[in-house]
Amino acid sequence: MGSLWRKIKWEVDALTVIQLTIVLVTFAAFMIVPLSMIVVRSFYTSEGFSLKWFTSILSDPYYFPLRLKFSQHFPFVWIEGIRGNLFDVIEYTDPSGKLVKIIYLKGWDFGVLVNSLVVAASTTALSTALGFTLAFIFAKYRFPGSEALRVLSMIPLLSTPFVGAIGLKKMIVADGVLNILFHDVLGLLPFKIEITGLPAVIIVQTLLFYPIVMINAYTALISIDPSLEEQAMNVGASGFKLFRTITLPLATPGIEAGALLVFILALEDLGTPIVFKGTTAEKVLTFQIFSKMFTPAGLISEEATTLALILLVISSLVFISIRKYVSLKRYAMLGKGGIWRPRRRKLSMKVTILVYAFTITVLFFATLPHIGVTLLAFAKEWGPTIIPEEFTLNNFLAVLSGEEARRSILNSVVYSSIATAFMVVLGVSAAYLVSRKKGLPGMEALDLLVTLPIAVPGIAVATGLFLTYLGTPLSPTISGAPLLIASYTVRKIPFTVRAVFSGLEQTDKTLDEVAWTVGASKTRTFFGIIMPLILLNIIAGGMLSFIYSMSEVSTSIVVGDANHADAPMTWKMYDMLFHGLTGGTFQPAAMGFILMSLQFLFIVGANLILRKRATALISL
Amino acid sequence: MVSITVENLVKRFGNVVAVNKVNLKIKEGEFFTLLGPSGCGKTTFLRTIAGLELPDEGRILFDDQDVTELPPHKRDTGMVFQNYALWPHMNVYENIAYGLKIRKLSKQEIDRRVKEVLKLVKLEGLEKRTPHQLSGGQQQRVALARAIVLNPRVLLFDEPLSNLDAKLRIEMRAELRRIQKELNITTIYVTHDQEEAMSISDRMAVMNRGRVMQVGTPREVYKSPENEFVARFIGQGTFLPGTVEEVNEYLLVKLDVDLEVKARPSKPGITFNPGERVLVMIRPESFTLSEPEGEYNEFEVEVFHTSFLGNSQLLQGYYKGEKFLVEVDPDLDVPSGKKLRVYVKPELTMAIKL
Repeated sequence: MGSLWRKIKWEVDALTVIQLTIVLVTFAAFMIVPLSMIVVRSFYTSEGFSLKWFTSILSDPYYFPLRLKFSQHFPFVWIEGIRGNLFDVIEYTDPSGKLVKIIYLKGWDFGVLVNSLVVAASTTALSTALGFTLAFIFAKYRFPGSEALRVLSMIPLLSTPFVGAIGLKKMIVADGVLNILFHDVLGLLPFKIEITGLPAVIIVQTLLFYPIVMINAYTALISIDPSLEEQAMNVGASGFKLFRTITLPLATPGIEAGALLVFILALEDLGTPIVFKGTTAEKVLTFQIFSKMFTPAGLISEEATTLALILLVISSLVFISIRKYVSLKRYAMLGKGGIWRPRRRKLSMKVTILVYAFTITVLFFATLPHIGVTLLAFAKEWGPTIIPEEFTLNNFLAVLSGEEARRSILNSVVYSSIATAFMVVLGVSAAYLVSRKKGLPGMEALDLLVTLPIAVPGIAVATGLFLTYLGTPLSPTISGAPLLIASYTVRKIPFTVRAVFSGLEQTDKTLDEVAWTVGASKTRTFFGIIMPLILLNIIAGGMLSFIYSMSEVSTSIVVGDANHADAPMTWKMYDMLFHGLTGGTFQPAAMGFILMSLQFLFIVGANLILRKRATALISL
Repeated sequence: MVSITVENLVKRFGNVVAVNKVNLKIKEGEFFTLLGPSGCGKTTFLRTIAGLELPDEGRILFDDQDVTELPPHKRDTGMVFQNYALWPHMNVYENIAYGLKIRKLSKQEIDRRVKEVLKLVKLEGLEKRTPHQLSGGQQQRVALARAIVLNPRVLLFDEPLSNLDAKLRIEMRAELRRIQKELNITTIYVTHDQEEAMSISDRMAVMNRGRVMQVGTPREVYKSPENEFVARFIGQGTFLPGTVEEVNEYLLVKLDVDLEVKARPSKPGITFNPGERVLVMIRPESFTLSEPEGEYNEFEVEVFHTSFLGNSQLLQGYYKGEKFLVEVDPDLDVPSGKKLRVYVKPELTMAIKL
């Protein structure tokens, strides 16, 4: 014990104390305490500790209708309670007398709890299949334009809340662009297809999230030392056997990390279910928490906190499994250090055409939301045509001249800027402690704490913040600003932390040490030597944190609803889209376009600054 | 200029004992080298002296001042790292001047001292270069200049020459030695290169697995190895196990290869008893091809390999399965398979305690 205290005294100086304090206090106040409040509220009732809320949720068929049925006949046991059909077919005669057949892909309904898992799992499976296939093509084959296609296939990372999904919805509904194109105009399809409900959520999410798997898998594949594959070929493995026994196992940790991250993002996604509300898409955890958060008396409902707790537990378990299980297996990265050129094969003409057909089709669908948003943003009207008939800048002018919309944009910029300042200070502190104070007990836990926000569903944070701060001076009913800034800070800080951490890890520790030996105190070394060396990483991390704050959804719309004057841009877009006041779809699309352009500039900027280190930002 | 006293120093990393109860006394102005294979704890030891690691047990004294728990920036040491650790965002001048600025010296004083040290390390005119515009040897000199410009109490080197090519390394050795003697700063130098250690040091400590195996001048360590590790690690030799038969002026040792030889204890003061197992060691240059005057030991070796080294020639041969290394005249033509009679005086035949 005495020796531990001696060690702590040796490692800790004034700077360490300040850094640790500000990080811990911020996280305690705006993450730990709010989440603990959710736990407390879900278990404590007027009669004391109780599982009442859990049992009432589990026994409510709306949330959990599934029951096991046993019988003496084959198959002896099955599950009851699944409702709905995978698809419905509707036929009608249109005014011109033509028979139209529409297939509605609706999906089954397993109840809210299982629906959330099914959606997240399906999105993960599809994203992984799509992301890995693309990554494999780009990592292993050389063909004209492959690099350009690879960069383009990351476009979905520019995700605008709501409007992207609305752009996509515009494409996949019965009278949407795809049906017009393939059914009405080209006549390739004998029927129309409308994807709705949970399947629509899955498809939209897949198109939003596959790049995360792709980037992780691509990095893993190009990090495989080619000599490992060459060695395997030397002993006779080739083709699929080589892929299955060498390449795939080596790349697996990277793919798993990406896939689990997608699972979490799909699970906590609130924007997409909102876009498809009115269908079974509503029956997922996030939407339920969002829509049932307040009792008629304006208090937080226990039903919502309990659902939030369930969501929180699932996503935390997945997150911990990423950190514990996947990182242990990162043997693919145990390179010998040298630089190698990845093995890339040239393709025959035929295969090249197939590869083009595949990648371009994926890209087409992946960019549909962005094309949709762009078209909507510049459209005057958009009837049943493939593209709008008339274009205009009026939507932008309306947004910029409209008092409320303009104010919401300004609010977002101010909140995100202040939050970014906090994130830089806290993020640099946390990254420094984790990278440079490894000898201090608890630094691994700190690392977990500051990357955890990736796994904490925004709607759970929003619920917790309300629970904690309603009725205090920070109450969102007084002003939305404090909680929004706090929420952006804790939710988006992992981007800054990761960027700064990767910079620190690439800055040799001897550069700090030699400064100490020439007489610079640790504080002076931190500001005089370390900060200038990682300045670019700080800027890049700050840029990413800023832009993801601007497009934050969950807390923005919940807090924004409490106080419209202080509401941020994403709330205003939500309000315009779903409460149908002014502007229809076109003005939110214009705001979405502005946001998307900013995202593009910031993400490209950050990537240029970080170059190869950029992958650190979307892998854990 | 200080003397450094290390008492019972222990440093553990988890279950690994990197430094194990080390006691050393380094004199004022001495050039002291720690030599040992990689992983022997020599760098960890150096880092505890610099204050970069906190020892688990033991004390470090600079003269009478206990610095064991003094943070590195208050120790007044200058350190040169293996990778030089030059700050890439500063030019040569700024790198060297950084420590002086911290000491709040006047601009003129800083300028004067940087100029002076640049002259000492022969880098005049390169002030404005950034580290990546310098060659490895130049970077090395900047790192040295940055360490000595502060006129520290102690100068610490962590394998500073290992990233340089062979020729430059030999030049820099002489250079380091010259500068150290000119400044007369107590110096600890870490290396795994025994030739480097021999040529540069006043005294040296041979380390293995966290322990100091022997301390002495290079001559003492080479000519009077205290134990088998030092004998095998420093220089080359022929090693023949045997048993002590009689203890007279010389030891009479019955070798396992069925020969009797006369030998002396490897280090004065080491005593042996009849019946004790020993390792007999003979340096390659101790052998002669003609019978020496006085007493001698004699072997017949079958040569199987010769290597020409320029100024000498090294023969490898066997006698009853034991390998012999014999240095001979470079011009001597010895075909493989030839049987050669070699001789060695008893005072050059060392008995090492097992």
